[in-house]
Amino acid sequence: MTGTTFGAVPWGPPLGEPVPRLDGRAKVTGSARYAADHTPAGCAHAWPVPAPVAKGTVTAVHRAAAMAEPGALSVLAHDDAPRLGDADDRTLAVLQSPRIAHRGQVVALAVAETLPAARAMAAAVRIECAPVPPDLELTPEHPRLVTPEGAESAQGDFPAAFHGAQVRIDAVYSIPPLHNHPMEPHAATAQWLGGRLVVFDSSQGSNAVRDALAALFELEPDQVSVVSEHVGGGFGAKGTPRPHVVLAAMAAMAVNRPVKLALPRGLLPALTGYRASTLQRVRLGADTEGRVRAIAHEVDTYTSPLSPDWRERATQPTRSLYAAPHRLTRERVAPLDVPSPSWMRAPGECSGMFAVESAMDELAVACAMDPIELRARNEPDVDPHTGRPFSSRHLVECLRAGADRFGWADRDPAPAMRRQGRLLIGSGVAASTYPAEVIPSSARAHANPGGGFLVEINATDIGTGARTVLAQIAASTLGIGVDELEIDIGRTDLPRAPLAGGSCGTASWGWAVHKACGELSRRIDEHQGAVPAGGLTVTVDTTEDLATDDQYTRRSFGAQFAEVAVDVDTGEARVRRLLGVFAAGRILNPRTARSQLLGGMIMGLSMALTETSTLDLAFGDHPERDLASYHVASCADVREIDVHWLAEEDSRLNPMGSKGIGELGIVGTAAAVTNAIHHATGVRVRDLPAQPDALLEAMIAQGRI
Amino acid sequence: MEFLRPADWTEALAAKAAHPSAVPIAGGTDVMVEINFGLRRPDALIDLNRIVELREWEVGADTVRLGAAVPYSRIIDELPTELPGLALAAHTVGSPQIRNRGGVGGNLGAASPAGDSHPPLLAAGAEVEVASVRGTRRIPVEEFYTGVKRNALAPDELIRCVHIKRADGPQQFSKVGTRNAMVIAVCAFGLALHPATRTVGTGLGSVAPTPVRAGAAERFLEQALDEAGLWDSGGVVPPAVAGKFADLVVAAANPIDDVRGTAGYRRHALAVLARRTLDWVWDEYRGKEWGRACA
Amino acid sequence: MDSRLLTSAVTLRVNGTVHRLTLDNRSTLLDTLREDLDLTGAKKGCDHGQCGSCTVLVDGRRVNCCLLLTVACDGSEITTVEGLSDGWSLHPVQEAFLARDAFQCGYCTPGQVCSAVGALREMAEGRPSAVTVGTEPPSGAAEIRERMSGNLCRCAAYPNIVRAVGDAAERAAEWWERTP
Repeated sequence: MTGTTFGAVPWGPPLGEPVPRLDGRAKVTGSARYAADHTPAGCAHAWPVPAPVAKGTVTAVHRAAAMAEPGALSVLAHDDAPRLGDADDRTLAVLQSPRIAHRGQVVALAVAETLPAARAMAAAVRIECAPVPPDLELTPEHPRLVTPEGAESAQGDFPAAFHGAQVRIDAVYSIPPLHNHPMEPHAATAQWLGGRLVVFDSSQGSNAVRDALAALFELEPDQVSVVSEHVGGGFGAKGTPRPHVVLAAMAAMAVNRPVKLALPRGLLPALTGYRASTLQRVRLGADTEGRVRAIAHEVDTYTSPLSPDWRERATQPTRSLYAAPHRLTRERVAPLDVPSPSWMRAPGECSGMFAVESAMDELAVACAMDPIELRARNEPDVDPHTGRPFSSRHLVECLRAGADRFGWADRDPAPAMRRQGRLLIGSGVAASTYPAEVIPSSARAHANPGGGFLVEINATDIGTGARTVLAQIAASTLGIGVDELEIDIGRTDLPRAPLAGGSCGTASWGWAVHKACGELSRRIDEHQGAVPAGGLTVTVDTTEDLATDDQYTRRSFGAQFAEVAVDVDTGEARVRRLLGVFAAGRILNPRTARSQLLGGMIMGLSMALTETSTLDLAFGDHPERDLASYHVASCADVREIDVHWLAEEDSRLNPMGSKGIGELGIVGTAAAVTNAIHHATGVRVRDLPAQPDALLEAMIAQGRI
Repeated sequence: MEFLRPADWTEALAAKAAHPSAVPIAGGTDVMVEINFGLRRPDALIDLNRIVELREWEVGADTVRLGAAVPYSRIIDELPTELPGLALAAHTVGSPQIRNRGGVGGNLGAASPAGDSHPPLLAAGAEVEVASVRGTRRIPVEEFYTGVKRNALAPDELIRCVHIKRADGPQQFSKVGTRNAMVIAVCAFGLALHPATRTVGTGLGSVAPTPVRAGAAERFLEQALDEAGLWDSGGVVPPAVAGKFADLVVAAANPIDDVRGTAGYRRHALAVLARRTLDWVWDEYRGKEWGRACA
Repeated sequence: MDSRLLTSAVTLRVNGTVHRLTLDNRSTLLDTLREDLDLTGAKKGCDHGQCGSCTVLVDGRRVNCCLLLTVACDGSEITTVEGLSDGWSLHPVQEAFLARDAFQCGYCTPGQVCSAVGALREMAEGRPSAVTVGTEPPSGAAEIRERMSGNLCRCAAYPNIVRAVGDAAERAAEWWERTP
């Protein structure tokens, strides 16, 4: 991927146009079918039975009461479930062993004719187990905290440079466990047709699901079809195959009929991943003019025994963010007997940037500098971690453009000085960044002899607008309108493609679609523009296009601005205004891009003020499992909010010149909000979320009210 | 699960007498949550939706007879003048969809300390009318809550209606939460002024095992308003009086630490709500000349 | 237990069509619509009345149908998202959601649309909300935000939802007048 020249997509309509979603009509009329909306004839229903303890062994599964339920078909457990092959993911080895790795792990599965019967059966299954004391608490002294390979980096002499710095910030920040909670709980409808397994799954990437199911059930991949035509959000929770789809396939095998399994909302935190809690120490050493000489970011987090290689890579953004000759990053992770953490929107970046961008705000206060000027002063020429140039950056431009739009120039930096009645008002800023990566993908383009085109790729539209933007890329490449082609996505029967995740979906799929359509155009030209009777079909793969050495750091950047009001009597904080200004290459569809960036920012707002979960040390799981106790932002929590982007040209990315935007919107938002709370109240929020009780206590302790 | 559908109140009482473990259900917004959570697995439900009188209200000379299943949305629309405190609280119950189905009977049956309708019922003064085949009795609402999610109903009894004192003065309700909507209160407070009898009523939510009144605070405020002649003069309530009132409200609370807030914070916030609602009701009292013209 | 005690015969009128069903007493209206009538527009997001994805109109009022037992809906008139459009022309709220890009993944959208239809009717009838001030007919973004807060959207399409519902207000009133 060295190339600075791409066979670029012609820039212009329909690419870059606000084309309405091609699946919009299906979604507003309710005709779009999600995984649980398929009910094959004879479909049975399954309901999971969660482990009642955090660690131990199942010693008996009492099925009699459950099987007495009218319509009962089966209770599967480790002692009778079909044996599975190895899919290299221990969370998928369901019902294979009596060992309990975490509370909420599925230890039995009830299958019945109807949903109410399955649910009643699951409640009637009695699990006997021999519990052993679990290890649940992460502390900086935890004996099993280790630094995995590649989890630390060092340049220069951080300790000496920090010690010698004129201004030092040394602070610890914490983020609680956070839950993805896409609106669609994970669901799968599975059926065996002859020797084939056909599954409707809510997944961000059905090729990985097919591969896993093939390995587990010891089938060839082409004996498995996975359909994820419409997916009700994921935010990382559906980024890898999850246990529900294996359970559904297993149950369908056991009862020899189709089985539908929709996870109850309350089991999502235990079974589909979450953002693990992080304890983050950030140290910044600077001169009095705000030039950072030394920067260190150290993170402690945890994983589960089922996901030994997982960690929240929260120091990753810090490596490439600001210039400083003396640098240190380290991530430590301890295996705890807890549900497996996994991806949640902007894994790593979202957590890490809260800490670093809070620390930068603290440094601005300590140096009596404007926080935007502080960031501009520490802008690196090249990626400080790798020494490579950035393919494009424009962070400072985002900050300055945002400052103009937000009215930052009039801001008095003194904290706790703006009062409206019983409210304190403040504003804050933070940077955002996320890697712009590309993964190999294949795609197929077909020209019909009678006119019209078909583009096929197993991309997934989890709400990003992938269907629409890929049609735009194809149409632009072919020089036609979006309505002159059909786009088919969301099935493993289509050409293999990577998941919708890591902000690399559109870039990866789009590259393959562009390549296929470009080659198809050439083939049509070879036929003097006349498509032969059998049509023309081109199938491509971008593996080789991406295989060359990389000379650039590719990241998207942005600036987040927030205005908050804090009630001096109750400590309730509310966000009045949010503004995001981003540099993400070419924006391929401003309509869907704007929606996605707004959505990320609102999830960040929610992270700042309302979202919190607890790892309960008495039970080993999260008590805040439902949407009444885990507060995601509601419509009434979002007031004035706006998104803008720079016209960024970057020819070193991909043929579209685009960067992913799925995660960029959430990164830095929480820090912008808590920095604004500091400006409003003088209280520095280092532990998310900024809840009324802690905020009020701090305001009282500081004598601010 | 058996589903009993009595056609009228007499049949409902007979069904409850025959199936004391059966759970009554009307709007479903309290009971169904517990069933869907797996917290309850009743053998039988008694569907009260066919009993028209449970969804009716009647305004009398001094009290409003509010059927147990009158949905919150109708309390808001139809009784804002007679039951202003309850109408304000009803605005913050769950979501609009919940408010279209749920009623006071469900909140009383569930007896959760966080139920939004409890503070205004306590503040206004109310009696819960419960019935069984053995007869009917009225329970003062403050005696209705007997413990965390426990109430004074006998196994064969059903809640028929609530007799709530008609507002004769301003009433307010306020709560603290992290989200702007669909929020379970960190703490809640209801306050009612009764100029006719020169008394005040209070109701506290989410700060004790059960919803409670702050009796000492009520008596203190009544006395302070009387002694300073404020009922007649409509003068400003001295900050010291408001402060002492808030302190006594807090003294009636017995909060716990939980994820939504510490006990200390709940006490502090409760004092804030007590002072705020006192400000609001007293401003309204002074502005509207409630009952003062003839004093 | 006698299985006759565990089931009930119900008559439902859904989107104008009468269905006579014998159902497990434990069935919720949401499960009946989805699993028995194949009306999968209403979605299960939480099963606890905490998200609004299952919002439908029962006798003209928006409700969370995950909290309704089907047997208790005997004789009710139910409108789901599938009943808002005639298959070709869309309801004004649906058109406005398309025009404003008021959704992303689309999972909560049928519930949002039904909720908006209910909310606009409540506003047109002058029913106050927690943020209504004075006696003017409720309107404007603050009213819509408050009234749409029973429908969570994790993609957070809220700003566009508020605009869409605002756009649809006038035309939705006409729709109600046309629809008995």
